[in-house]
Amino acid sequence: MVETPATAPKIEESPDLLSRRGFMQLAWGALAAFLGGVAANSLRFLFPNVVYEPSQKFNAGPAVDYPLGVSLKWMREQRVWVVRREQGLYALWGRCTHLGCTPSWFGGEDRFKCPCHGSNFSPQGDVIAGPAPKPLWHCKIELASNGDLIIDKAVLENRPGFRENAPYFVDTQGA
Amino acid sequence: MSTPSAPPTQEKPGPNGPSRVPWLEKLLGNGFKLPANPEEIKKEVINSQVWRSVFRGGAWKNTPRDRAAHIIGNVWLHLHPVRVRLRSLKFVYSWGMGGISFWLYLLLTISGILLMFYYRPTPEMAFRDMKDLEFAISYGWFWRNLHRWCAHAMVVTVILHMIRVFLTGSYKTPREFNWVLGVTLLTLTLFLSFTGYLLPWDQLALWAVTVGTNMAGATPLLGNEGPFSSLLGMRINNDIRFGLLGGTAVGEATLIRFYVLHCVFVPVVAGAMLMLHFWRVRKDSFSAAPYAPDEEKFETWPHLISREYVAAALVTVGVIVWSLLINAPLEEAANPTVTPNPSKAPWYFLGLQELLVYFDPWIAGVLLPNIIIVGLAAIPYIDSNPKGVGYYSFKERPFANWMFLFGCALWFILIAIGTYFRGPSWGWYWPWEDWAVHKPPPPSTWSIPNLAGGPLVGLYFALGMALPRLVRKELEWRLAVPTVGILSVAAGLSLKIIHTLLVGKVAFFAKNIPHFGAGAFMLIALFLFVVVFFGFLLPQRYIRNLALPKYAMTMVLVLMMLGVLLKMGARLGFNVKYVFSIPQVNFNI
Repeated sequence: MVETPATAPKIEESPDLLSRRGFMQLAWGALAAFLGGVAANSLRFLFPNVVYEPSQKFNAGPAVDYPLGVSLKWMREQRVWVVRREQGLYALWGRCTHLGCTPSWFGGEDRFKCPCHGSNFSPQGDVIAGPAPKPLWHCKIELASNGDLIIDKAVLENRPGFRENAPYFVDTQGA
Repeated sequence: MSTPSAPPTQEKPGPNGPSRVPWLEKLLGNGFKLPANPEEIKKEVINSQVWRSVFRGGAWKNTPRDRAAHIIGNVWLHLHPVRVRLRSLKFVYSWGMGGISFWLYLLLTISGILLMFYYRPTPEMAFRDMKDLEFAISYGWFWRNLHRWCAHAMVVTVILHMIRVFLTGSYKTPREFNWVLGVTLLTLTLFLSFTGYLLPWDQLALWAVTVGTNMAGATPLLGNEGPFSSLLGMRINNDIRFGLLGGTAVGEATLIRFYVLHCVFVPVVAGAMLMLHFWRVRKDSFSAAPYAPDEEKFETWPHLISREYVAAALVTVGVIVWSLLINAPLEEAANPTVTPNPSKAPWYFLGLQELLVYFDPWIAGVLLPNIIIVGLAAIPYIDSNPKGVGYYSFKERPFANWMFLFGCALWFILIAIGTYFRGPSWGWYWPWEDWAVHKPPPPSTWSIPNLAGGPLVGLYFALGMALPRLVRKELEWRLAVPTVGILSVAAGLSLKIIHTLLVGKVAFFAKNIPHFGAGAFMLIALFLFVVVFFGFLLPQRYIRNLALPKYAMTMVLVLMMLGVLLKMGARLGFNVKYVFSIPQVNFNI
């Protein structure tokens, strides 16, 4: 008797289910997605949600204490120059718009000079010489009801025509 | 010592003569014999199971087999081939710069680990720990000095290694990718230095890192002060700089970040890259020096390894002496509101600091460094000259060598200007001038109107790209070079004459064109010559027949390099702020 050859066990092929190749593609895809997720997670991890930095807002004392010219009173503590002109007061942030060094005030030359790359600024903050691309920032400055100046370094303006108006300028002529 | 009258011992003499301490050997019993002399002790030790389990191969007999086994069987040495050719052994071929760089990396690891035992990375403690290292801890000053000076030395040796590899054409096929790895390692070396110098928390640390990270803030798209950053909604507290600093200004979060980068992250990445770098050197037949028929080969042990040990010993002696004699600088404690005047980065970044004077932060601090790094890495892929692999040759590779050395020279000129020619408020002071002497404020800068500057820049790049390729004739070199020299001087002189006439006679020009001295026009002559020589004569002579894509890539890099030089000249000689400017997108050149 001739034995009929045993038929090879047939693999159930179903077009609906995942093919071998499809499964591998899915697996690799899942791995790539996982690694991408880990990378994105690590990147996000490096950006803190809470920073423990000092407040940018401070009380600069009575406005009447500031004589005409550039005051260095708050430079060491707050990195801000308070400037009084005939018409009123404004506050310049002591951070060079080039790369963030602190310029020094040279009264005799009537200009700020940055020690890092040599940018020069006028008392209004405009660039006179050197590589700085933008004028110095004017901080928000307001006169409190008791006559104190409240300066906020988080609100800044450097466009001519805007920086000369409230809240970046305290008009003492009208007051 | 036994006296001559001592009675003879009962023990029979062993193979190594009479026993030396009879009572001890008797006590230990069973034929135990103490070794008779140091030689025998050595033999006993080497043949012991413990020794043989650690070091294989038995006693050193100094046979060729032993010497080969010393290399093959040693995990630290096995990246060397067993035998090396004379050409790759020669000191004046490699100058040992790669190996010395690696040795300095190891010395830095050792000294760095020691410093970590005392150093605490917080703003309150860091600077105090520096002072303790200097004054209160035994040899603290020494290890800090050693760490600092090794870092400086490593920057030097890595750069010299790159120059050596370039000049010997050792980056050509099949070693292209190892050159790319090398450029990456150079970048990592500089990044290690950069992250390292925040750690002392002195004024230099704070301000150099403030400037360095503000450049990141000027990155296009990703930095809050960079062009197009508003498209991605970048602010001071969510941009790339914020991620690097861990805050909006350099502070305690920054210090711990840089500490981790400096002590763990970058050394590990650099270490992995180093392994790859060495492995590829070994796989690419160790040295690019060309083969000669019947070339004599030397055994790596002792010929190469002993040289490496001698070089390492000399370098070690050098940095130790240096560290004993000169203290690593330490300025005052960091103060976030006061910038020292002038504020200078360490010498290897002063070229970058000087470059920042001439261009906007995102161009000088982000774009140009990236172009330099990518351009360096691209060199093996655009240099299609098959000649000059494995030996120094200006004759066979005049264009590549001249251009590369010119670029290196430009970088070191920038470093020299930043180091020796800049004083308070980053003003120009000659090295012999006293910084205390009052200088008049710098003259106001002016910009060339866009209507003139735009075409000028366009013409420079268009002519620069086209001219060397369009002039098909072989120029007589001996005639061409002096001609260009004479024409440059003539151009400078005539400009001076025109300038004098116009400013002197015509009211309109006198009002609008500033006065310039004769020196400025000499500068023009020199710059004209350099630009025409490197931007026209060399490319016209050597690469005008290159395939167009490679030609174009080469010329873009060359013209940008010369453009930096031109802008420097325009600013230093003529106070030109911008040649062309679109302030809306911070595109100011």
